[in-house]
Amino acid sequence: MKKIYHNPTGVKKYTGLIFISPFIVGFLLFTLYPFVSSFLLGMTDYNGISPPEFTGFSNYISMFEDEKFRNSLFVTFRYSVILVPLKLVISLIMALILNLEIRGMGLYRTIFYIPSILGSNLAVVIMWQFLFTGDGLVNQFLEFIGIGAVNWYGNENGSLSIIVFLRLWEFGSAMIIFLNALREIPPEYYDAAKVDGCGKMCAFFSITLPMLKDVIFLNLILQLISAMQEFNAPYMITGGGPMKSTYTIGMLIYDEMFKYHNSGYANAVSWVLFVITTVFVLLLFRFTGSHREGNQ
Amino acid sequence: MKKYLISAVSLCSIIILSACSNEKSKNLPDGKLNPCTIRFSWWGGDDRHKATLDAIELWNKIHPEIEIVPEYGGWDGWTEKVSTQLSGGTAPDIMQINYDWLISFSPDGKGFYDLSKLSEHLDLTVFDSDILSFGKVDNILNAVTVSVSGRGMFYNSDVYRRLNAEYPKTWNELFELGEKFRGEDIYPIDLDIQSGGTAWYLAVVYVQQQTGRIFLSMDGELGFTEEDIKLALDFYKELENKHVIRTIDIRTDEDGSAALYQSPKFIDGTIAGVLEWGSSVGKYEMALPEGLLEAGPMLSDDNGNSTGWMIKPSVLYAISKDTKYPDEAAAFMNFLLNDEKCAEVLGTTRGIPASHTAEKSLELSGKLQGLVQENDILLENLDTITISPYMELARMKSFYNDAIEKVSYEKANTSEAAHEMYISINEYLERIRR
Repeated sequence: MKKIYHNPTGVKKYTGLIFISPFIVGFLLFTLYPFVSSFLLGMTDYNGISPPEFTGFSNYISMFEDEKFRNSLFVTFRYSVILVPLKLVISLIMALILNLEIRGMGLYRTIFYIPSILGSNLAVVIMWQFLFTGDGLVNQFLEFIGIGAVNWYGNENGSLSIIVFLRLWEFGSAMIIFLNALREIPPEYYDAAKVDGCGKMCAFFSITLPMLKDVIFLNLILQLISAMQEFNAPYMITGGGPMKSTYTIGMLIYDEMFKYHNSGYANAVSWVLFVITTVFVLLLFRFTGSHREGNQ
Repeated sequence: MKKYLISAVSLCSIIILSACSNEKSKNLPDGKLNPCTIRFSWWGGDDRHKATLDAIELWNKIHPEIEIVPEYGGWDGWTEKVSTQLSGGTAPDIMQINYDWLISFSPDGKGFYDLSKLSEHLDLTVFDSDILSFGKVDNILNAVTVSVSGRGMFYNSDVYRRLNAEYPKTWNELFELGEKFRGEDIYPIDLDIQSGGTAWYLAVVYVQQQTGRIFLSMDGELGFTEEDIKLALDFYKELENKHVIRTIDIRTDEDGSAALYQSPKFIDGTIAGVLEWGSSVGKYEMALPEGLLEAGPMLSDDNGNSTGWMIKPSVLYAISKDTKYPDEAAAFMNFLLNDEKCAEVLGTTRGIPASHTAEKSLELSGKLQGLVQENDILLENLDTITISPYMELARMKSFYNDAIEKVSYEKANTSEAAHEMYISINEYLERIRR
């Protein structure tokens, strides 16, 4: 017999809408409104104080002549290309280790996740100074093992490296996603592979990696978006230097907006960043599409 | 349904309109001091924070009905914070502001409250008219100068005594000290290129002294030629080459992103001197054992020409144009600027007060002493130049820093860097003056 659900007392046509209204209001006010106004402000000359003046696409045109913009775009690409693959590899390795059945593993997982919670706050900045300045712990260690000290902060490659190290150290979020996916892989697959004479490496490449394709892709997208928007770490640790070698596009937007009161230009740059990131993500979807579908 | 909708819209309109009219009437001074809570923000070092918090406590004892909420922090990032607050209409009622903010935030004189309308609570008769003129934009009094200050040389007396050296009086003596200290791996002074931009400041002083030309006029005209800029950059490079200051490469390697006064190298005496505002030297003083930091002579050429040194309003106080409590804010500002007991509590943490009442109070209480006072006297004896507010604009600082960094890292020679800087500065000044 078909079950009949009675409309509970007080439930009317708009009840559902009222329940989801906090989200809708939040979305309209804090996402859609800034999104649209950012685009409009990008077409103005606006210092944040006086009323904006419409200037059409002049901000976008001047971007092409701006050496700082070109440099920051290059720094952001360079940083993303170095960081994203490294972070994926490290977080996957850590997830594999933390997937082992060892006593107290829950505690280890929590400990490894802590750096991701810390972010790049003042305490981390001070710790990084203790680690990477001339007399820091890392250089003491390098000298001890005979490699010799490295000028991390004062050297263009060194300064980018310490930003990358910080973000690598914060592998927790990507690791948790991998870990969850690893635990979803049925153990019977590994048992069957073992019977067929497949070793650990063989099982990793024939079972684990193919089963993780979707999650690797998800992490790749998330990490790429986050790397393209990098601001905190270079702002706090290197100030974008030396010689603008860690001056990401996020820092350029911040400086133009808050330091130089060039709000129109800052909004235009943030839209360019949005478009570039979107294009990258779409390209990744397109080029990895056949592989991911193969998995399904 | 329609009836409800019309009622709701009407109600909202009434609330919004009444709120607007209420706001407007509250924004005008009525001469009365009503109970309220007002926000006061400032930046500075620990010495300034402590003294200001004590001053607020003193105010609370006299006016418990007007609560002051302090908002304070270090200089780095402070402009950005206030800029966001001003853009968003959430600025504190009273703000300690920097000289160049008058151009950035109030180009037409309407960015801050017109203080001339608040004379009932704010006594401006105790300030010289030329001091008051620093805070005027388009003849509207936007801010009141707290103190006038200039950068001076301060040395770690212990290191100089140990190395049997005297504080330099001329540029050549400074260069000689660099060579003398090289063997000990000690630097006679150091200059940062970051937010403070002291490296460019010293180079400008040097060139102004040599050429007699002023870097920037008060209305934002570049007075230096491309050759002058090259001379300034050559001077900077010579400071590095002769071991007077650390190269940027060494400084960032040793300090990371820490400010000079927090640098272990300054604290352990490897850096034996600094160039700093008299009004802000307290943070350096506090980093060393008491009495170790001493003011040194303002450098001159070998003929005793000591022109070129500069002064400016070190900080100013302004009231937000959106404040709901102009009378109360003015009363508190008056307390900070002119109250005798408050002056004693604040001491010289913002420099020697520009208010005659506050200065006299410090003099009578014997608190007009120390490095700030010594630096003030040294500057008083010179033919100083008033700094153009355009010199401290953040974009201008980025031009100086970029050029100095390129020269320091040898990514450009001084001619190339000077050419680039000359073009950038001229283009920018032309744009903002328009």
